[in-house]
Amino acid sequence: MAKLKLEHVTKRYDDQGEVVTAVDDMNLDIDHGEFICFVGPSGCGKSTTMETIAGLTIPTEGTVHIGDRDVTNLPPKDRGIAMVFQNIALFPHMDVYDNISFGLRLRDYPQDEIDRRVEHAADIVQLEGMLGRMPEEMSGGQRQRVAIARAIVREPDVFLMDEPLANLDAKLKVHMRTELQRLHKELDTTIIYVTHDQEEAMTLSDRIAVLDGGRLQQIDPPLTCYNEPDNLFVAGFIGSPSMNFVEGSVTADAIETKNFSLDFDPASVDGIGVGDEVTLGVRPEDIYPAALHEEVADPSERIDARTDILEPMGDEIFAYMLLGEGETSMSQKQATNDQLLVSIDPDSVIEEDEDIQVVLDRRNVHLFDTATGEAITHTLEAVWDGDGLTESEAESDD
Amino acid sequence: MATATDNESEGPLARWTQRAIQDPERVYRALFYVAMAFFLVTTLFPFYWLLVLAVTPSGRLLAGSFLPEVTLFGVSATFPLPVPKGFNPQAFITVFEQVPFHLYMLNSFALAVTTTVIVIVVASLAGYVFGRLRFPGRAFLMLGILAVSYFPPAAFVIPLFQAFAGNAPITLPFTDIPLFTPPRLLNTPGSMVLPFSALFMPLSIFILTTFYGQIPDGLEDAARVEGTTRLGALFRVIMPLSAPGVATAAVLTFIAVYNEYFFSSIMATSTEAARWSPIVGGILSYQTQYTTQYNLMAAASIVGVLPVVILVIVAQERIVSGLTSGALKE
Repeated sequence: MAKLKLEHVTKRYDDQGEVVTAVDDMNLDIDHGEFICFVGPSGCGKSTTMETIAGLTIPTEGTVHIGDRDVTNLPPKDRGIAMVFQNIALFPHMDVYDNISFGLRLRDYPQDEIDRRVEHAADIVQLEGMLGRMPEEMSGGQRQRVAIARAIVREPDVFLMDEPLANLDAKLKVHMRTELQRLHKELDTTIIYVTHDQEEAMTLSDRIAVLDGGRLQQIDPPLTCYNEPDNLFVAGFIGSPSMNFVEGSVTADAIETKNFSLDFDPASVDGIGVGDEVTLGVRPEDIYPAALHEEVADPSERIDARTDILEPMGDEIFAYMLLGEGETSMSQKQATNDQLLVSIDPDSVIEEDEDIQVVLDRRNVHLFDTATGEAITHTLEAVWDGDGLTESEAESDD
Repeated sequence: MATATDNESEGPLARWTQRAIQDPERVYRALFYVAMAFFLVTTLFPFYWLLVLAVTPSGRLLAGSFLPEVTLFGVSATFPLPVPKGFNPQAFITVFEQVPFHLYMLNSFALAVTTTVIVIVVASLAGYVFGRLRFPGRAFLMLGILAVSYFPPAAFVIPLFQAFAGNAPITLPFTDIPLFTPPRLLNTPGSMVLPFSALFMPLSIFILTTFYGQIPDGLEDAARVEGTTRLGALFRVIMPLSAPGVATAAVLTFIAVYNEYFFSSIMATSTEAARWSPIVGGILSYQTQYTTQYNLMAAASIVGVLPVVILVIVAQERIVSGLTSGALKE
């Protein structure tokens, strides 16, 4: 039970004469008892960061503190950590009891204390009666529980979990996810959890640390990351399906994109001026068919679109909409400018290749600086005064 | 009807050929048996010959042929397999009465066990480094280690003998600058265990490298997080999981040292058991200036081989799986 602090942690290694920076100036301050998820695409440095915390990798620069101790150069066994590995990593030549008690036996705990702790851990992860089994005789979920028991039995200061659910099937994954949350409540220990699955990160964590290219992009509670992403990467990574991005530029009274424009007063937002290149970000659930615009508190102008592909999910329909002259078979870059993914009500009567109009919920339209990717604002205020555009929109609302 | 008569008119070879063409498996099986028989005869015949010699009474060893004349139905011919001329199992007891042969066996056994332990421990460390760590010059170093086994052992004998004799200080190559005077190791286990360890080390390192390299990193990481050092992880997790490889390396080393003749005959200069002469020294001591007791030498050879035979039978499954799974990797 301890705080965890990473200061300027950098890990560089030499890959056949080429210097690769796996982790770049990582600063993290994690409180006691927090459940933190490291999330990011493969190769983003999340596992390397985890390994520097575990001590399996020594950082090139920077320090790692657990509690009040500087553990940067301590071997893993002296750091007060326990880890659950992606490939589970049970010792195949030991039975469940020996696997769970391995760490305690190495530390010369008295036998009755070992028995008591193993029993308690087995009880928490519901493994009673299986202590005599060999790992190869168990199912994937059971092995995973043994691995977790092996970690909790040592009552570590910090729990590290490296994609522990990655190799489980979908159903078991959801089940284990709830168990992990229950476990966190019960143990009240700091947990660092690495995953590439943003959904896992959203559901499990107190705070999400989004990593990309070895750099920390944002560390915030899940909903903050979702609603107020710091930059384009976080906006695109968090949320499934991901946010729509449309490139445009700022004019005196609007944001012009290739296929539509939105009223906008550059003066209403700091750090933006006429002529700036911006990227508009809207989540699929913040786009509505124009017919439903009354449901939107602050609807934008209507945008002409044509439905392309429909994906009924049961509780919603994902509709790919083409803007302007958009064609389906386009390069990724154009696709983002000419295509909107819209989540619509499953009861809507909608067909493929149908011309419709959509409106955006202005409160949830994000603006990013196209060049730097930094977020500018997370809500587009309506333009109430001046050019009367709002009025005309109000008329069309009637 | 016509085909049936054709078949009948053909000879057995033609029929067998016909069936072999239809079912090629038969040919492979036949070839397998032929090859098996060949290897069995070539490997087992020496043992049979030893047995024949051992049980033949010493007085009849040199008189007459081991191939008996057999007269059957008036035709006399030479039986193609040697058979004992008489039966004297007493030789297997005399072997221990005449010289303390058990002590020679104990010497060999002690030398082999010591060398095996040294080789396995050191080769494990080397195998860990070569199999699991990435560092510049790794391939080159491995090549250097393997190069040790390319040299004929005879190349080392003279310098090693000089060094182990402990008479003169070791000098820097090509100069007269003395470095140190080594202790006298001749006729001690050290003079044999040291070169044996060095000579049989490369093979063991090679075997263990391939095995240790296959253990997933996650298991070692898990052991280290759980509380072992790297060394602890090697001995508690990596080695047990590589048991077939360790067994293979150990058994090969053990057998090689147990049967070793060349170095031990030179380093243990006397044929006294008390001076660490191994089995070969014991066998040679049945040969005196005036007599050579072939039957006792043969009996001693058989007794001496028995422990290795038992070891191989017990460990053979492991050795086979060890050699093949090592081979798959590299």
